[in-house]
Amino acid sequence: MPTILEPVTRPVIRHQSQSHADLAPTFYVVCWNDPVNLMVYVTHVFMKIFGWNQQRAEKHMLEVHEQGKSVLIREGAEKAEFYVHQLRNHKLQATMEPAA
Amino acid sequence: MKLVKSSGPIWQYQLTPPEAALLEGLLKQFPFTALTPVTISRTDRSQASGERAKLLNESLAEHRRELQKLARLLLSPDKFQPQAKGVLMTLTAAEREGLLLVLNDIRVGCWQALGEPADIHAPPANEQHRGYQGLMDLTGYFESQLLPE
Repeated sequence: MPTILEPVTRPVIRHQSQSHADLAPTFYVVCWNDPVNLMVYVTHVFMKIFGWNQQRAEKHMLEVHEQGKSVLIREGAEKAEFYVHQLRNHKLQATMEPAA
Repeated sequence: MKLVKSSGPIWQYQLTPPEAALLEGLLKQFPFTALTPVTISRTDRSQASGERAKLLNESLAEHRRELQKLARLLLSPDKFQPQAKGVLMTLTAAEREGLLLVLNDIRVGCWQALGEPADIHAPPANEQHRGYQGLMDLTGYFESQLLPE
């Protein structure tokens, strides 16, 4: 009697296509040290713009002060640009740098 | 200058008459310096980055004009009330934020006008520089009094 083999169902593996957001370049929003903005002011601005608590804002402020810069956030171009505008309106030395 | 009351959105500060006169003088004469063009990136030399920098500088110029209007509004008589011991300054939370922005604009603007020195207390080269340093000290004092520790 011939053996009837059951059909084997192989899973179809589809490569997920990346969304537009995944492919879009991202930027680091960086705050650079300067000798003029008061430390308490920088902390205040970080809390105000990013909604961070005091501890997190102070951590970034100290990074700026002690290491010369701090990466504040990584975002798509539009949002990074928005944050740089906000920080610059407060006279902080902020830039957006392409993420590698 | 000291904080006397902070309840809800209202902030009240007690100023001595000389402090009030100095603060009002800063608001009346704002802005003290021209805007310095800024870059938006230290590494990105693309055309898009150049366009973003242009937009940023336009936005900063508009922001400066808004601050100038705000500085005039802060001079209204209801903000500075003479009292027996000095002057009581009453601000909403938004006005307090605005005052901080005006003061820091003056402070950073003076530093930029000085050529962005690493040592902000270096001996001034001339009378104009001495004036900028004086403004930086003054605005730094008021900022530190406005902000909680």
